[in-house]
Amino acid sequence: MNSRQPDRRYPPGDLAIWIFILAELSVFAIFFAAYAFTRMNNVELFNEFQQSLDPTSAMLNTIALITSSYFVVRALAAIREDNREGCESWLWAACAMGGVFLAIKSAEYAHHFGMGINLSTNTFYMFYISLTFFHFMHVILGMVILAAVAVKTRQGAYSADEHTGVETGGSYWHMVDLVWLILFPLVYVMR
Amino acid sequence: MNPRSEHRPMPRPCTLVYLVMLLLTLLTWLIGKTGITGLPVALGVLLLALLKGQLVGDWFMGLRGVRGLWRWAVILWLAIPGALISVAFYLSSGA
Amino acid sequence: MQYQSQSVAKLYFIAAIGLFVGQILFGLIIGLQYLMGDFMFPEIPFNVARMTHTNLLIVWLLFGFMGAAYYLVPEEAERELESPLLAKLMFWIFLVAGALTVLGYLLVPYSGLAQMTANSLMPTMGREFLEQPTITKIGIVVVALAFLYNIGMTILKGRKTVVNLVLLIGLAGLAVLFLFAFYNPANVVLDKFFWWWVVHLWVEGVWELILGSILAFVLIKTTGVDREVIEKWLYVIIAMTLITGIIGTGHHYYWIGTPEYWQWWGSIFSAMEPIPFFMMTVFAFNMVNKRRRNHPNKAAVLWALGTATMAFLGAGVWGFLHTLSPVNFYTHGTQITAAHGHMAFYGAYVMIVLTIISYAMPILRGRQAANSNRSQVLEMWSFWLMTVSIVFITLFLTAAGILQVYLQRFSDTAMPFMVVQDKIALFYWLRELTGVIFLIGLVVYIASFFVGNDEPEASVEPTAE
Repeated sequence: MNSRQPDRRYPPGDLAIWIFILAELSVFAIFFAAYAFTRMNNVELFNEFQQSLDPTSAMLNTIALITSSYFVVRALAAIREDNREGCESWLWAACAMGGVFLAIKSAEYAHHFGMGINLSTNTFYMFYISLTFFHFMHVILGMVILAAVAVKTRQGAYSADEHTGVETGGSYWHMVDLVWLILFPLVYVMR
Repeated sequence: MNPRSEHRPMPRPCTLVYLVMLLLTLLTWLIGKTGITGLPVALGVLLLALLKGQLVGDWFMGLRGVRGLWRWAVILWLAIPGALISVAFYLSSGA
Repeated sequence: MQYQSQSVAKLYFIAAIGLFVGQILFGLIIGLQYLMGDFMFPEIPFNVARMTHTNLLIVWLLFGFMGAAYYLVPEEAERELESPLLAKLMFWIFLVAGALTVLGYLLVPYSGLAQMTANSLMPTMGREFLEQPTITKIGIVVVALAFLYNIGMTILKGRKTVVNLVLLIGLAGLAVLFLFAFYNPANVVLDKFFWWWVVHLWVEGVWELILGSILAFVLIKTTGVDREVIEKWLYVIIAMTLITGIIGTGHHYYWIGTPEYWQWWGSIFSAMEPIPFFMMTVFAFNMVNKRRRNHPNKAAVLWALGTATMAFLGAGVWGFLHTLSPVNFYTHGTQITAAHGHMAFYGAYVMIVLTIISYAMPILRGRQAANSNRSQVLEMWSFWLMTVSIVFITLFLTAAGILQVYLQRFSDTAMPFMVVQDKIALFYWLRELTGVIFLIGLVVYIASFFVGNDEPEASVEPTAE
């Protein structure tokens, strides 16, 4: 299965989804850079309020997303071996981990919003809420996509010979994971 | 399919990558929890993140098997913002 | 013409061009009024001429979009239009209502018009671009609903292509968003907030879907490239449009009294609004490069490529120049805005309508595929005259705007508005002269419809295979 030489010109899945992925990644990249440069003029503010965040929740969320991405990779491996049931199960498991992410994040939000914090409280919170909220929405969309692919897998739409849909949906989900991998250290840890 | 050793089954590569990422995540968390600060630590944490991102791109997204421009898609997305963030943190650190 | 009912498009296209002429004449009037404030005062004061200029623009573009839909939908859906009679009826209703409205602007003081049309029963008058009396606005809604019904039924009962569906979504969005013109909150902040739901979400939202689908249609017809390739591009382009443009509305929320986070959201998302326009340019040139045939209607291909390019420059680049909030703080409401507005509207929407007219009119008038060489050459002259004029108009207004921003806002010894206007008058003269050249281009354009009609159609050169 592993060939040392890269042999494909195009990434797995529909090329159109990769254009989306690049677009979404670009928006987040700009936001990340904006965060870092704004922090330059507000170091004390950012440092102070960063400490009101809970790195443990964020770490659990990171593990949830990395695990869900791993499950997606397992799903793809399964369908490549024509194992439809396996593929479907791994996809639902990935979706479930996404659900875990949403639950933990919602608890964090409940805590902060319950204290009256909102987008206008200060610049740090504006970035924290904006970044995590936009990401949150993408997790939801990603879960919808994974669920759709899982349903189609159950309906027999994919096989070892033809499973572009699984690659396409999986790629989008990995993007969601990728964004969080930067967001977590940047917003919760780096000081 | 995969010629596997009959005596010691190898874990899948993606599983190994996953375990490495878990470790890197725990490391980042520990740093966050113990509250270690300072520019070298911050940049180190960023580097860990970029490394994790690279692993996702290469091994999970399958870009390792792709040649040409698309191979660089995720790498550039990690490198360029990574560089910008590093610059911003450097300039914030009291320079 | 594949389907008889496509012929109703001709009415709409003719009205569109007629109103276009009206728009430009009024544009020249207000351009002169910048320099001679008393020109045509008190018969046609600046504010009246200005709203006539802008309203005519929007109405003629709407006629153009409807004509485009009536032409391409039957062909895409592979069936006759649901009701050509309804289309013709709506044409006359829209035209008469529009004419009466413009006459109302010109002949009656605006407050008198409001009284005459019972604006107080449901007040919707008095806002930029939405100056129409409430009864006109209701008329527009009726026309739009009838239009959507007609087009929608045709598509529903026929072949559903990506081009068709994207166009329908765009047009439906146009109609739904227009309803916000009826929402007039007393709170000034909310008033402005929702006003942009009509204006921004039109021109930086659903109108781009309309633009994309018409461009895709013309490229399919003139290049012969696989429909699937073109339709995939269209999907990606409109997705980028919506991803960047919806939250990008925030770039109008910097200074109207909304919370500060809009300066961040608006800047970041709207900074990416040029991307779909860039993609459209690459798309158009790529498809033409990979074409499988040389279409005899060279003028239409020129318009198509020109549209993509000018839309990218005018809407994309010039838009980007003043979209970031730290920049916009200084440039808001200056000649920079006017520069962007003119090149964007011309490049994206004027040109796409002229593109579809260029493609469809010869066929509607009985040709197989294209006009005669003579006619096309004249049309291509008009393309260059109008397009180059607009580029220079934009450059002159940009120069005026930079000076204005510096002298009136940025400088440590800032000067008052009218003093600065005096100082940038040279650029207004240059703009006006260039505007006259634009009008000449428009006259040449109209002439191209009457020239070369007796000559044979331009022939097809075989592609080197």
